[in-house]
Amino acid sequence: MAVLQKKITRRIRVLRTLILSLLAIYSVNLFSMQVLRKKLFESEAERISIQSTRIPAPRGEIYDRSGERLLAGNIEAYSVYITPSELPRAQRNTVVNNLARLLNMSTDDIESKLPDPNAYSYGRVVVAKNASLAAITEIAARIDDFPGVSWTSKPLRDYADLGSLSNIVGYVGTITRDEYKLLYNKGYTLEDLTGKAGIELTYEDLLKGQDGWISKAVDVHGKDIASDVARIQAPVAGKRLILTIDSSIQKIAEDALGKRQGSVVVLKPSTGEVLAMVTYPYYDSRVFMSDSAGRAYLELLNNPQKPMLNRAYQASYPPASTFKTILTAAILEEGFISPDKTVYCSGEIFYGGRSWSCHVKKPGHGPLALEDALAQSCDIYYWTVGRDYIGVENIVSYAQDFGYGKDTGIDLPGENEGLLPTPSWKEEKYNEPWTPGDTMNLSIGQGYMLASPLQVADMMAMVVNDGVIYKPHVLKEVRDPATGALIHEIQPEVVHKSSISAKTFDMLRSYLRNVIVNGTPKVAMSTKVVQIAGKTGTAEIGLKDRWHSWFASFGPYDAPAKDQVVVVTMVEASNPWEWWAPYAANVIYQAMYAGQSAQEAAKAVGVRLEGSSVHGRRE
Amino acid sequence: MTLQSIKRLFGNVDYYLLFATFSLCGIGIAAIYSAGVDANGVVVSNEYIKQLIWFVIGIFLLIGAALIDFSRFKDTAWIFFALSIILLILTRLVGKVVNGSRSWLGLAGFGIQPAEFAKIATVLMLARYLDSAEFDSSFKKLLKTGGILAIPLMLILSQPDFGSALVFFPAALAILTLADVDFRYILFGVLSIVGIFLFLSLPLYAQNHPNPENLLYMLVTQDRILYVVFILILIVSIISSIGWFKFKKPYYYWLSYSLAILAFSIAGATAAHKLLKPYQIERLLVFIDPNIDPKGSGWNILQSITAIGSGGFWGKGFLKGTHSHARYIPQQSTDFIFSIIAEEFGFFGCMVLFVLYTIIFVRCFILIETSKDRFSQFVVGGILGIFAFHFMINIGMAMGIMPVTGIPLYFVSYGGSALWSGLISIGILTGISARRYSA
Repeated sequence: MAVLQKKITRRIRVLRTLILSLLAIYSVNLFSMQVLRKKLFESEAERISIQSTRIPAPRGEIYDRSGERLLAGNIEAYSVYITPSELPRAQRNTVVNNLARLLNMSTDDIESKLPDPNAYSYGRVVVAKNASLAAITEIAARIDDFPGVSWTSKPLRDYADLGSLSNIVGYVGTITRDEYKLLYNKGYTLEDLTGKAGIELTYEDLLKGQDGWISKAVDVHGKDIASDVARIQAPVAGKRLILTIDSSIQKIAEDALGKRQGSVVVLKPSTGEVLAMVTYPYYDSRVFMSDSAGRAYLELLNNPQKPMLNRAYQASYPPASTFKTILTAAILEEGFISPDKTVYCSGEIFYGGRSWSCHVKKPGHGPLALEDALAQSCDIYYWTVGRDYIGVENIVSYAQDFGYGKDTGIDLPGENEGLLPTPSWKEEKYNEPWTPGDTMNLSIGQGYMLASPLQVADMMAMVVNDGVIYKPHVLKEVRDPATGALIHEIQPEVVHKSSISAKTFDMLRSYLRNVIVNGTPKVAMSTKVVQIAGKTGTAEIGLKDRWHSWFASFGPYDAPAKDQVVVVTMVEASNPWEWWAPYAANVIYQAMYAGQSAQEAAKAVGVRLEGSSVHGRRE
Repeated sequence: MTLQSIKRLFGNVDYYLLFATFSLCGIGIAAIYSAGVDANGVVVSNEYIKQLIWFVIGIFLLIGAALIDFSRFKDTAWIFFALSIILLILTRLVGKVVNGSRSWLGLAGFGIQPAEFAKIATVLMLARYLDSAEFDSSFKKLLKTGGILAIPLMLILSQPDFGSALVFFPAALAILTLADVDFRYILFGVLSIVGIFLFLSLPLYAQNHPNPENLLYMLVTQDRILYVVFILILIVSIISSIGWFKFKKPYYYWLSYSLAILAFSIAGATAAHKLLKPYQIERLLVFIDPNIDPKGSGWNILQSITAIGSGGFWGKGFLKGTHSHARYIPQQSTDFIFSIIAEEFGFFGCMVLFVLYTIIFVRCFILIETSKDRFSQFVVGGILGIFAFHFMINIGMAMGIMPVTGIPLYFVSYGGSALWSGLISIGILTGISARRYSA
């Protein structure tokens, strides 16, 4: 018994040591927390209870050229939250039902956003991001019936009915993880919206503005608890942007193109200002601000017509006969062949073991010199001259001079720089030598050659400007968001100055005028209100009865360069063949210079906007 | 009971114990009052009044418990035990669900948590059994103890109230220690509990630190591998048991011993995974890294730690705890009562609280050493185990070094059932203490 008792006493001692060590360890831990590391916890406590609430800055407004038509503004958007720990379990169903009714959501939608009712959760949960003012008013009036429900308002992007301007203005969306990494240093948070396309993306920095904040002592539910006035830093709105786009011209061009897959560029050559840029099909910037933005975006991405693409500068096509302008300039400048010397077109030539047919079949154009060859767009003339007189090096060098093969530098994202093939390029890409046949293809803007409608417009601008290309741009002015005072005006910027003589350009312009007066598009270009100069193009892409239709032009021909505009229309081969490019340009010129709508203009020049009666190519 | 005997009883009362207990209750009521005051100084909760009423009733329960001579009527212990089991069954059937577990038994708008009282009844029952089984083998004692524990434990786990169920183990372990059960068995129990926690927490840890190359990672994330390993362990364990019985070589014994612990841990953890909801496991284990879920389960811990740390040496003063009053800490008056005391009274206040608890613990030890019978020793030991475990878990949880199990700090936390069971326990201790020198 004594032995046993001794053993028990030892065990009691073990228990006592355990409990006393527990007390000692806890005391030391408390001492470490409350005395040694006090500062750390104090600042943590301060950080949590002094909460800085961001006041999001309204995004800069975007106006058209007139400064009067608002393209992108802001509206107050209300987000509704539920703090689950504040919502009594007994009332949970009632509150969710009432909320669902007010917000036009299903109860399941709301329930799915709430955490398990048994889980501790002290954060607040977003229930709706785009609640109506009416719903908020109702909740506010009966706040006692909505325990745990709160809301915030913040400015949300609001787009006008932009039509084809959507693809220029772009849209905003929630910042992605990758964007966040890049923009973190600029003070972005994961809740921010950033520009995703168009102007919204390019000028994100100007449009963004600077968020303000209120810092105040708050309790866990975000309610103010300190009576002293909070420190406030007011938000600074983003800058107001004025675009070079003229809404009325944009509308004319949009109507003139109609529902045809393609694009139109209207450029002011003397400054580089883009007056209109239409792409079809286009998207609607507004769908990105709806609650179903994610689905809409996926639908747009999967649409085989690719509405997200701005075909005016993000797509490239064979420039076809519009490219003959380059060879004509080369001949006029350097006299590779006398402009008076004729080449005989019999409708067909044989070279490299195959037949090459002109767009006019046998007996062909007959003997043609340079000016007529351009007007009639005779392929055989340019094949022969390109291959035998000018040579690929010179063609490439002139094409580069006119800006092909490199981007135009327009202030919009995702530009397609096209492709200007060279012998070394072909060698590298296909491991095959450049053949004279390739030169022939290049001479008529076919083969590997690709150019965007904007590049073609730049080519025409250079013709108008005696060899100068101004950087195309869509931003005209930056203005103060509150006062509207001018902060910065975009000045014309020379991106290229050619060494080709003014005399050559003079001749070239008259040749291009002759194209309209005597050449292939004579029938189509029926407008009488303005003198146009230009060149058609019909690109073969392997389809039997369909071609890409181009028309690159400038006018008024008799006006000084600063008053002229460049119009490039491009209608893809995916549409039924109507040779629509010249017809569209005709309507655009008529409408612009007669002050008419596209519909009135079409009537005036005798064109049906629904479609021309042309069947088969007219070059 | 003669007047004289009552007089003698009062003369022998352990006033140190009562002083510490009542002081703790007083601190608790003050802290509950503070927890019910919002940041603008408005009293938004009447919990402190309820606690005060419970305390007054509790004093009578204490006196009542002190007046019963349990060691004389120890054979009636099973009545209390049976009563508590009936209450637990009733709770299971018609109980009220609060915070996700069916643990409340309501009587006309007034509720108790039978689990709290079952603790005391079980301690009495275990003490009674082990007292009568003095000459049984350790193994038999352990088996029967397990059998007694299993009944209330299963009922409480089914509520489910993991925290309350956990408390039975330290109580039983303390009694077994005093009842001269072989240390190897006690060690087995302790290591198994540690093992269960380990295997509960590993999948969560692995989830947050993915490392697919790691074998241990594969073990805890892929159930099938775990089962295979479990069966292997079981087989090896059985083989070594056979080896032990045949050859009586010690290493067979220890091999089978440690593998059995491992198997037990895996089985226990798997059962807990089946029994508990994911958020409960997360809440249980989030102390390992509160930042896993700073807005959800980790929130309590982070806020509580911040409140405690910012208290400093002297504290921010009564009702001046900014963090607590901004209602940053949920369950402020129950599970996290310690954080408000630590914030407002600082390290100094905490030490006062610790000293008061130390008095209770020390009085318990003195009582164990001076008790005249084994039954009384066991009862005191069991109660000590419960108190110490609650202290360890609750304060450890508030400091972020113990799992969040939602068990109260005796005498201090808001809640009638816990307060009453605590005061009844003190009553039992007082009774034992007052009678130890009488015949």
